Amino acid sequence: MNCRKAEKWLLMSLDARLEGRGADLLAKHLEACPACRKAEAEYRSMLSLLRDGRDAEPLPRFWERLQPRLREETEIVPLLFWERWSLRAIPVFLALVVMIGGFLFLTPQAGELSQSAVLLLEDRDPLSETQALFEADKPETRTMMLMFASLDEKTTLRRPTP
Amino acid sequence: MEEKQLVRLAREGSPEAFEELVRKYQPKVFSMALSFTRNREAADDLAQEVFLKAYLALPRFHGKSEFGTWLYRISVNHIKDYLRKKGRAKEVSLEDVHEISFSDKEQTEKAERDREIESRRTLVQTFVGSLPEKYRIIVTLRDIQGLPYEEISRILKLSPGTVDSRLHRARRMLRVKLAPYLVAEGGTYELS
Repeated sequence: MNCRKAEKWLLMSLDARLEGRGADLLAKHLEACPACRKAEAEYRSMLSLLRDGRDAEPLPRFWERLQPRLREETEIVPLLFWERWSLRAIPVFLALVVMIGGFLFLTPQAGELSQSAVLLLEDRDPLSETQALFEADKPETRTMMLMFASLDEKTTLRRPTP
Repeated sequence: MEEKQLVRLAREGSPEAFEELVRKYQPKVFSMALSFTRNREAADDLAQEVFLKAYLALPRFHGKSEFGTWLYRISVNHIKDYLRKKGRAKEVSLEDVHEISFSDKEQTEKAERDREIESRRTLVQTFVGSLPEKYRIIVTLRDIQGLPYEEISRILKLSPGTVDSRLHRARRMLRVKLAPYLVAEGGTYELS
């Protein structure tokens, strides 16, 4: 075993992670190698010094000093939460305004109603006009009346074809 | 009361349960902060901030890991942030080390012993503090805090092999730094 490997195994043994044959080989190497024995003593000393610092006591009244800070933070957190959400709510609110505005703008107004709808709203019979057309005696008169009626509606759908 | 139960009660808003958890973990969190800052006041502040963070994050802790592991992870991340903000720690002055490693002969025996213990701690902490961050964290968690390899691996989200190799390298570096201050005395090595 070379010293490099021995150092690795030595650290494992100091962590109680080396057993059996490995531990025997390391013990044999340490017996024969003064440099590794020195390294072992130095590592032992170093680790015991490091472990000395374990669980150092904090300054007195740790919890008593922490408690008011916890209370303070828990009061601030809901405010921060609301602040964060109110910032996110601004674009949502603007989008809603645009949607409602668009809906109101695109809804057909009373002035754009068809003639039939206007007649219905005024509680008049929309068929009475048509009835008059069909009651006309001459076909020319009927055609002319239909043409004028379609011009009044401003739509090509009802225009008669010649 | 079992830790899981304490955590559950603390999540539900019981200050008594959280207090018990703080009392259990405060020395560990404090000593970890101390090994990074080498200043008791700064370490105390950091420990308080860690517990504040943990308290606020408690509703998001679902018990997938142990509470201690979770708290250590918060501590390590918070200390890293602190060190990053603070900038690189002061370089170790060997003159400072000599100064603190010698005991004051005029002190009484007990005071001298206490002082010597404190000096040793400070010396080791100084050298640990001079290691690069990734090695410093691993030495602190393993050799100062005494955490098992598996837990360190979970806290740092590193493979056990990486933890092993980093720790090995860190200990070698530390031994090289500390070696001049370790002399043989009756078969054991102590600080001069």
